[in-house]
Amino acid sequence: MTERTISVDYIARVEGEGALKVRIRGTTVEDVQLKIWEPPRFFEAFLRGRSYLEAPDITARICGICPIAYQMSSCHAMEQALGMRVRGQLRALRRLIYCGEWIESHALHIYLLHAPDFLGYPDALALAKDHPDAVKHGLELKKIGNELMQLLGGREIHPINVRVGGFYRVPTVTELERIRPALETALGLAEETVRFAAGLTFPDIEEDYEFVSLRHEHEYPMNEGDVVSNRGVKIPMSQFEDVFEETHVPYSHALQSQHRGEGSYLVGPLARYALNHDRLLPRAKSIAREVGLEDVVRNPYRSIIVRGVETVHAVEESLKIIDAYKPPDEPFVEPPASFHATSGAAISEAPRGMLYHRYRLNEEGLIEEAKIVAPTSQNQKRIEDDLRHLLDRSLNLDDRELTNACEKAIRNHDPCISCATHFLKLDLVRA
Amino acid sequence: MPETKTPPSGPGRWPLVIGVGNEHRRDDRSGLEVVRGLPSRLHERVRIAECQGDVTDLLDLWSDEAEVIVVDAVRSGHPPGTVLRLDDAFIEIPQLGATSTHGLSLSEAVGLGRALGKFPAHLVVYGIEAEDVGMGEGLSAPVSVGIQEAIELVTTEVRSLLGPASIT
Repeated sequence: MTERTISVDYIARVEGEGALKVRIRGTTVEDVQLKIWEPPRFFEAFLRGRSYLEAPDITARICGICPIAYQMSSCHAMEQALGMRVRGQLRALRRLIYCGEWIESHALHIYLLHAPDFLGYPDALALAKDHPDAVKHGLELKKIGNELMQLLGGREIHPINVRVGGFYRVPTVTELERIRPALETALGLAEETVRFAAGLTFPDIEEDYEFVSLRHEHEYPMNEGDVVSNRGVKIPMSQFEDVFEETHVPYSHALQSQHRGEGSYLVGPLARYALNHDRLLPRAKSIAREVGLEDVVRNPYRSIIVRGVETVHAVEESLKIIDAYKPPDEPFVEPPASFHATSGAAISEAPRGMLYHRYRLNEEGLIEEAKIVAPTSQNQKRIEDDLRHLLDRSLNLDDRELTNACEKAIRNHDPCISCATHFLKLDLVRA
Repeated sequence: MPETKTPPSGPGRWPLVIGVGNEHRRDDRSGLEVVRGLPSRLHERVRIAECQGDVTDLLDLWSDEAEVIVVDAVRSGHPPGTVLRLDDAFIEIPQLGATSTHGLSLSEAVGLGRALGKFPAHLVVYGIEAEDVGMGEGLSAPVSVGIQEAIELVTTEVRSLLGPASIT
């Protein structure tokens, strides 16, 4: 019997950091091993002994693409530990900066990372040569998201203005009004993005996902809500670890999440949309209807449309927050003056899914234990399931085609390799 | 964090020096270390920026610029710490995208910038060969030496762009 092995160093540019290994014997897929390097592990150790106030700034460094998610989850976890509540305009400003990150991250994935797969291009560069306007739209949207993050965060990469209790400085009405025209442009661009995505051709595949996301009483979820699933989970954030667990897989050194006693589950845009489409704002709802998007999308390739719809929502939400903005009297809620040993946990919706933080603090407010569960580690097992199904139905492809198909299936879930280095892999050719 | 200074407008405006890297990946931070280590007198006449996240930000940073110098860690097979100077005429774009799920490289930013017309009039890349890009903050010994060499080379290049009398 013939044995085929497919091996891909697919993540970023560092050998051995992230890899996909598939073993096929005859017509049977024997093993699928997906390894995603997880920087949170390093940071969990790094956080021990640091002040609770430092967690938002330190954890923001985990990811250059979604620093706000790390800041939000860490702030909420600390506030939960200390019994603080952030309400009103400060709460709204948090949603506003999070909208910036959703816009920026989704635009990057839709146009530069995902779209080339559907249009037959190997990468964004090839796409840009034939469809410069599409890529320009993507970059423009992304830039507006960045501007929003910069305005509220002080700078777009690793923002420094977010703190436990709120912000170091809040914007003036004039400052927020200044970004309104750009957001109005972004709304049109985001709607065009949904139309563009819906016009792509997708493989006709559906997966039976357990979708897991936050759900809030009134809002499309970002910072608050219960953890819910389409298979009956409904728990407060604080019970996350009772229902979902991380297990060690020998090939990865990383931990994989699963629903205890159930198996893999999916977080991210498909899950949020399936469980919260009724909470979308009117323009987002309307564009989803216009392009015929079903209420529950089980085709992972169609996640590109859902990201587009979420981008419309994020722009709409930003404008709504700016409309209602009145600068709060204080930029942050004062933390308690004295401490006792305590702990707190919180989840927020990063662009690619739920991000869980839990901290244990001592009586001096120093971190004794930190636990961070990133969306990509939660999706890792589920992505392996997608790959197993893909391989079962695609064994007739040659190795190269199969490798490409696997990479596309992975990209559907926008796995975050934030830890990726940015060095230039260089083939130097001199004439 | 070095500040970005406001440039004088028109021809002959100050060059822009951009450090690229991830602070938490050891030698990958070398580009940031170089721009942070430029002599303070040079700060008066040069604009400095850092790119620690998604490199598509470079497109907005450098488009419409006259002279741009980017400093980044590289892997090219040279001994660690080697400093390479690449003029944009020689920057070869390696195989892209297909093996990456997220994040883009400097070479992709160069390619995208060219394809979309978001590119400076002249780009020079200084690459410092990396040894260790694992999680952490310390630099490897040869890269620390390379950073000092790159600081001197970038300083000399900036001075020559500004003209001999501009900085003493």
